[in-house]
Amino acid sequence: MRGSIIISAGLHALLIGFALSSFSSPRTLEVADVEALPVDIVPVESITQIQQGDKKAPLAEKSAPTPTQRPDPVQDAENVGENKVDLTNKAPKPAEREIVAEAPPKPAEKPVPTPEPDPEPQPEPKPVEEAAPAPQPEPEPKPEPVAEPKPEAPQETEVAALPPEPDPLAEAIENAPEEPAFEQLPTAGPVPSTRPKPETPKPQPTETAEKKSEKPAEKKQEKSSASSAKDSDFNADEIAALLNKDEAKGGGAKRSTETASLGGSKTTRGETLSLSEMDALRGQIQKYWNIIPGMADGEDVRVVVKMRLDQTGNIIGNPEVTATGGSAGTRSTLAGSAKRAVLRAQPYQLPADKYASWSEVIVNFDPSQMF
Amino acid sequence: MEQVGLAATSDVTLWSLFMQAGFVVKLVMLGLIGASIWTWAIVVDKVVTYNRVRRQLDKFEQVFWSGQSLEELYRSLSDRKSSGMGAIFVAAMREWKKSFERGAKSPIGLQMRIDKAMDVTLARESDALEARLGSLATIGSAAPFIGLFGTVVGIMTSFQAIAGSKSTNLAVVAPGIAEALLATAIGLLAAIPAVIAYNKFSADAGKISARLEGFADEFSGILSRQIDERLQSRQAAE
Repeated sequence: MRGSIIISAGLHALLIGFALSSFSSPRTLEVADVEALPVDIVPVESITQIQQGDKKAPLAEKSAPTPTQRPDPVQDAENVGENKVDLTNKAPKPAEREIVAEAPPKPAEKPVPTPEPDPEPQPEPKPVEEAAPAPQPEPEPKPEPVAEPKPEAPQETEVAALPPEPDPLAEAIENAPEEPAFEQLPTAGPVPSTRPKPETPKPQPTETAEKKSEKPAEKKQEKSSASSAKDSDFNADEIAALLNKDEAKGGGAKRSTETASLGGSKTTRGETLSLSEMDALRGQIQKYWNIIPGMADGEDVRVVVKMRLDQTGNIIGNPEVTATGGSAGTRSTLAGSAKRAVLRAQPYQLPADKYASWSEVIVNFDPSQMF
Repeated sequence: MEQVGLAATSDVTLWSLFMQAGFVVKLVMLGLIGASIWTWAIVVDKVVTYNRVRRQLDKFEQVFWSGQSLEELYRSLSDRKSSGMGAIFVAAMREWKKSFERGAKSPIGLQMRIDKAMDVTLARESDALEARLGSLATIGSAAPFIGLFGTVVGIMTSFQAIAGSKSTNLAVVAPGIAEALLATAIGLLAAIPAVIAYNKFSADAGKISARLEGFADEFSGILSRQIDERLQSRQAAE
């Protein structure tokens, strides 16, 4: 036994020695420095849908509309363009321009009836406040239409000299504003300008309540005088030259910085019905499609039903049924059954947000599988 | 940071694993290595013993059935210490001689005594054959559990160390687990040969015991016939 123990111990010593020498530190796993490859699962409809771009530009990997120059971005803009406001169509713009172009003749027409309309607007304020002061302004424009533009100019200078319109102050000190006005006047302009000055302060101190009624009246006088002035100076060519003749660029306010490439005018979202939704529609119709089995040459008939649906899934009007193949009797029978099925299956439960895609539905009936 | 950690713990040779292990795990591993040595010592011993026993049995049967006189065979064998069939033969012949030399009358009593003597010798021989097979069985069944114990203790301590280092980096976790698993490996290394050897040697011992029993039965029959013949001749002589 001792011998065998020695033999065993020796064998173990050999084995352990071999293990220690050969099973040295196992080779460390070499982990290559590989960047994790991101794999995204993207729904296919995001690829198949139309991307916003330029319809005339060449095809590129990423579609982009024609670049815009304006830097300022507009929030939530969908349509590409240089505008500040997001507009959907280019068509309305030129229409507005036309109206603007037509506008100048209108003021030209107005000055002709000026004497007549002037009394018309004036009576309106009169009944509201007082009838007495109203006739006073009336005579003023009549006697000297030419002189009126002159009083306007000094009035403006006064306003420039005294920015805080001293209406209450004028009541307290009547002479004070007059004196500096006189001092300024000789420097500002010619002699006749002095006359209207005393006229204007006079009404102010007399009746404060009447000022309001007078002021609009004066303004109207001014307008009428201005329009009358235009009447005389109206030159269609000059005005036409002043008008902005730039073509309306139209479009929206969305900015684009990339080079133009092929694409649609708008990015569409997944508008097509998914397979499961089409299956649901098919199943809904099939439930009501009953055909008599054993009809002769029923397999050859193909029925196509075209129907228009409203938002709630009901059929608008009458579904359009066309049947082909087979004998006339079978054809009419199957066409009738298809129509009945379509009518009975409503309302159709379809996603409301994709109404654009199922507003018109074409259903193909193939009875060959039913026989 | 991590590179430094890896470099520090990448030394995972067997020796370093053993030296890194805790006291309990080391003890378990040493014990299991000892068990393995013991197992293989028993294996070597048994292989040698069984071969020798088989050779002796073959030789004895050859001599026994060669027509040699039983008296002569007994005289040649009784001088030296014999084992196996020789021992059974000697025990039976001794009992035979003792009984006849004293002039025993009862043949049934003589037969019983010879059988008893042979049974005792047979049992002793079987014991010698099956000696230490029990320890093989024990090692075979217990060594994996002992190894597992070492592993559990090792993993426990290594997890405590991880909790202390506050790092779940695999480079920190791995050496402790590898070191703990070494205990299970050694346990299996000791247990597998022990189980195989136990099955093999217990079958061999059974075969040799059956051969000895067969010889004992045969020899008992021969002696029984001899007793009858002697009694008949003695009665005829009287």
